[in-house]
Amino acid sequence: MARSSSSLSDLPLTEPWLLATGLSRRYRNGRGVGPVSLAVGPGEVQALVGPNGSGKTTLLRCLATRTQPSSGDLTWFGAPDRKLARAKLAVVFDATAHVDELSARQNLAFFGTARQVASELWEPALEAAAVAELGGDPLARLSYGMRRRVLLAEALVGDPPLLLLDEPTLGLDVSGCQWLAETLRARAQLGLATCISTNDTDFVEQVATRVCFLVDGEAIRDAPLSDLLAELGGTREIQLSYRGPSPLASVIAVPGVEQAAEADGGLLILARQRDGLIPEILATLGDLDLHLVDLKVRDPGLADCFLRLTGRALHD
Amino acid sequence: MTERGEVALQRAQPKVAGLTQPRPAHLWQLELRGTVARRRALVIKLAFPLVLVIPLVTTGAPPFFAGMLLTVLIAMVGTVGTGVTITRARGAGWLDRLAVLPLPAWRVGLELFFAGWLVDAVQATLVLLVIAIAERPDPATLGTTWLLALAALAFSGAIGLGIAALTDHPGEAMLYLVVVLAPLLFLSGLFTGVPAEGVRYWVAQILPFSYLDEGFQLLLGGNPPYGSPLSFLIAAFIFLGVALTATAALGRAILARTA
Repeated sequence: MARSSSSLSDLPLTEPWLLATGLSRRYRNGRGVGPVSLAVGPGEVQALVGPNGSGKTTLLRCLATRTQPSSGDLTWFGAPDRKLARAKLAVVFDATAHVDELSARQNLAFFGTARQVASELWEPALEAAAVAELGGDPLARLSYGMRRRVLLAEALVGDPPLLLLDEPTLGLDVSGCQWLAETLRARAQLGLATCISTNDTDFVEQVATRVCFLVDGEAIRDAPLSDLLAELGGTREIQLSYRGPSPLASVIAVPGVEQAAEADGGLLILARQRDGLIPEILATLGDLDLHLVDLKVRDPGLADCFLRLTGRALHD
Repeated sequence: MTERGEVALQRAQPKVAGLTQPRPAHLWQLELRGTVARRRALVIKLAFPLVLVIPLVTTGAPPFFAGMLLTVLIAMVGTVGTGVTITRARGAGWLDRLAVLPLPAWRVGLELFFAGWLVDAVQATLVLLVIAIAERPDPATLGTTWLLALAALAFSGAIGLGIAALTDHPGEAMLYLVVVLAPLLFLSGLFTGVPAEGVRYWVAQILPFSYLDEGFQLLLGGNPPYGSPLSFLIAAFIFLGVALTATAALGRAILARTA
């Protein structure tokens, strides 16, 4: 990974680079987020995970200096100074706003200059994002996915100490997601901090060191990824696709089933692993005269962690 | 290496488009290049004032009406251009991106304004060029009216920025712009002339549109009641200074508002 001319030596290494304490942002309709407390230190990748409307983006916008919190304390690199913070952070919001008539190179030149990133790092950033070949074309001619890559390249150029990404995998193909995951892991190894807001739990499992679950604006759990996954030891995720009325009430009564929720047009079940579990669930479905379309069993992940904590599926 | 060898090496290198493109280092450069790249829109933008000014000067329209129309044109160009552009930029998420850069808000405001003002200035210059060719006016009046037009554009642009700080929707911005601009144009004496004394006289003295209206009338052979090239010159610089100060101050308000 290309390094910027900025050094980490002038950054505090023993305290969080991003510290929110009792942070809250509420709108007139009562919706919003908080109070939330979290800390992101050097080398960490903090993920904010929750369903739509849970307050992830609002929280990220506060952390990114874009939105003023209603209450609570917020410091970046040990100080509550937003202007100083902006010199050391880069942000990707969900909109791919650019001057679309100009090329990726021209747009990146502006953002690189504004963030005082050395010009020799601009081209490698486009190459890393696999957009250098189209870097001279007007962005309006590029696909949405390619424009998202340009957006990410503009944020990643110069390796900002603190990177905040809202829905980072939005519009990216498989190779794009892999590139981004590798890049975020490499950043963490270099001691750089990242905060992402997403409900793409597969991606979070690849990159995050800590996960904060948000539901209806409340932070219900903030813990290291490894701890969250360890808590799911001995369980299995079962996904059912069926035709007919919901079997939720019957399935949740099966011994060993810890949580179940309707998701993606089927049923997501988190159950403790034991002999005879699957046949019993199938028998329950049979009693209901349901037509089973598909059944998948796999190791549980973050989505199951959310299911266990809330009784709700992350993806409706 | 021989020249032939160098050519061969150049041919062997992969062709990457856009490496020699000019790289905008500042926001106003980026915005201006974006505007220039929208060629069809740019041609229409530059041509539409000509559609108004050419018939006015070639048919010998009364200076009072011609001056009024051209002043309204300048005022609308400045306010609508800035106000609608900024509200659109906010809706697209562009202001979100600019707001989190390590750039002071006043500078973002000024640079956004400046890029639009430069294009508006070309429009105004074309209008005055047509008048200069058709009327062959006194150069001092032409020069000061040109400066007044640029100052009035800046003043209008600042009004547009102020409106953009209050609303997120381009349509709503258009409505507010008319609501704000119409009384200002009336108080500038565009529709009825300016009384020789009283409150309306003094109000007209602090509005750039009254000076610009007189400047246009003078250029088109009219005989407005007061004004001299020197007073136009001083007024132009004062209004320019006021507009730039207001724009810098509005930068923070524009960025603070989120869609």
